Amino acid sequence: MSAQEEILAALKQAVVDYEEDDCAEAAQRALDEGVDPMLAVMEGLAAGMEEVGVLFDTNEYFVPEVLMCADALYKGLDILRPHITLQTDAPKASVVIGSIQGDVHDIGKNLVKMMFDVAGWDVYDLGRDVPLEAFVEKQLDVKSDVLAMSAMMTTTMMGMKKVIAMVKEKNPDCLIMLGGAPVTRDVANLFGADGYAESAGNAVSEGIKMIGRLREYQKGDIK
Amino acid sequence: MSALTGKQRVQKLFKREPVDTMPCFSGQGAVVIQAIEKMGTKFAKIHTDARLLAESAITSARIFNMDAVVIPYDMAAVAEAMGRGISLYDGADGIIYPTVPNKWKNLDEIDIPKDYLSRGRLPMIDEAFKIIKQEAPDLGVGAWVLGPFTLAGQIMELDILLKGLKKQKEQIEIFLDQVTQVTVDMVKHYQTLDVDFISVRDMGSGTDLLSPRMWKTLVGPNLKKVFDAITCVPSVNHICGSTDMIIEMMHECGANALSVDQKNNVALTREKLGNDVLLFGNFDPYKTLTQLEDVKEVEAVIKQCIDNGLDAVWPGCDIWPDVKKENMEAYVRTVKEYGKKASPAVGRI
Repeated sequence: MSAQEEILAALKQAVVDYEEDDCAEAAQRALDEGVDPMLAVMEGLAAGMEEVGVLFDTNEYFVPEVLMCADALYKGLDILRPHITLQTDAPKASVVIGSIQGDVHDIGKNLVKMMFDVAGWDVYDLGRDVPLEAFVEKQLDVKSDVLAMSAMMTTTMMGMKKVIAMVKEKNPDCLIMLGGAPVTRDVANLFGADGYAESAGNAVSEGIKMIGRLREYQKGDIK
Repeated sequence: MSALTGKQRVQKLFKREPVDTMPCFSGQGAVVIQAIEKMGTKFAKIHTDARLLAESAITSARIFNMDAVVIPYDMAAVAEAMGRGISLYDGADGIIYPTVPNKWKNLDEIDIPKDYLSRGRLPMIDEAFKIIKQEAPDLGVGAWVLGPFTLAGQIMELDILLKGLKKQKEQIEIFLDQVTQVTVDMVKHYQTLDVDFISVRDMGSGTDLLSPRMWKTLVGPNLKKVFDAITCVPSVNHICGSTDMIIEMMHECGANALSVDQKNNVALTREKLGNDVLLFGNFDPYKTLTQLEDVKEVEAVIKQCIDNGLDAVWPGCDIWPDVKKENMEAYVRTVKEYGKKASPAVGRI
């Protein structure tokens, strides 16, 4: 195994084992030994998170473990990200993300946010319990490609419909993602959204699957 | 023999005595917009005033011929009484449930006041129970409390709590013991108000979030302590989300009835637990009462619940208040007509 392969494997394992210190150490080694930081993110950290997704889907990991894996991933990402140089002609995507007003839960939102962070997007995280107008104002201000909203409970879901209508009226090109326990594909369609993740659990699966697709894309496997 | 009142029907159900038909009631919030509009008030106002809280519960039950009421409607009352604040969203359009704005951010900050039962809205809720019992003696009256794990997630940041289950197991166990005592105090208090049933909702503890192993060690034992403390009122153990993997452990906690949501395979649960267990659930309230376009689809959902072996058809979660009138009517009508046949644990007169 080459030094690069060893480092990538160490990054991946540190994420799977939710070992934050190991992940930071492996990330620093990647920089010290000249591993392409984007490669380290994709084939180390993101690859580890993909394996976490498998463990989650097979009921070996549950949300507490996934949250700790995410913490480990961010330890590595914080070290690697400043060293990733973007091609100047490459378009940089952006997302406005938050939990809707009346919802003080943000676990699912944060896991989906992780996917955008790994992808290197500009992420505008509005937090939780976000007033409807704040979503609209921020989206129109930064003209993000995606607006992602989460509601963990049925009781807060209806606010999404209003935000979608307001944003789509002014910016019909913005893609809108919904997530949260009560959001089904039917609800997403009814509200006029472009995508959805069904629950905290599904946000985990969906977010991680998106990372998998991103990795394939980076490798040129899909266009 | 004259028809039973709603209260009698609910009481008999919990005693597993024969009833004339299946009672239609819920342990989850069942306030509806039709009642709020009839009262000329707003959703945001009914959580802070005993008269409005009681009246909205009674009016909702009266409009749709439900057999019982349950209050309060939001999950924030105990956390608010502990000084965590309350967001009522009274300036927002439409329906937003109150939430807790200032959760404790780490275990060291936690300081549960000894007199929380007399703080915040808890005394007001007691007053609402008294009004309901005086003004609607024919209706069953239900109280509900959050289960210890979910209450813990209401008073401290949930991600800290979840990660703490792995990283700070001993400290989290001590914290959960403290919170369990709060829930025990609450159910003891509600028993003194002479309610007809108490539902303990540990809705954040399903296997969407926690492993069955964690549930067995950190949730089940604390729930058992709560149900052991409910000695003179029927009790319900409600968990929403995925419960198939923990349903036997839920049963071992000792409640008089179990309640599950639409993710549970009720037919299989009935097979696992046998016909003596009172089992409630399990329709998707938002889809069934707010979205479905045809009342025949509503009837089919409710009939399927009964055919799967439920003893009472409860919504899997709070009824979204903005129900379609005809869907709500179809729900109640179908329960009362199709529920004339005996359910697994309860016979018919």
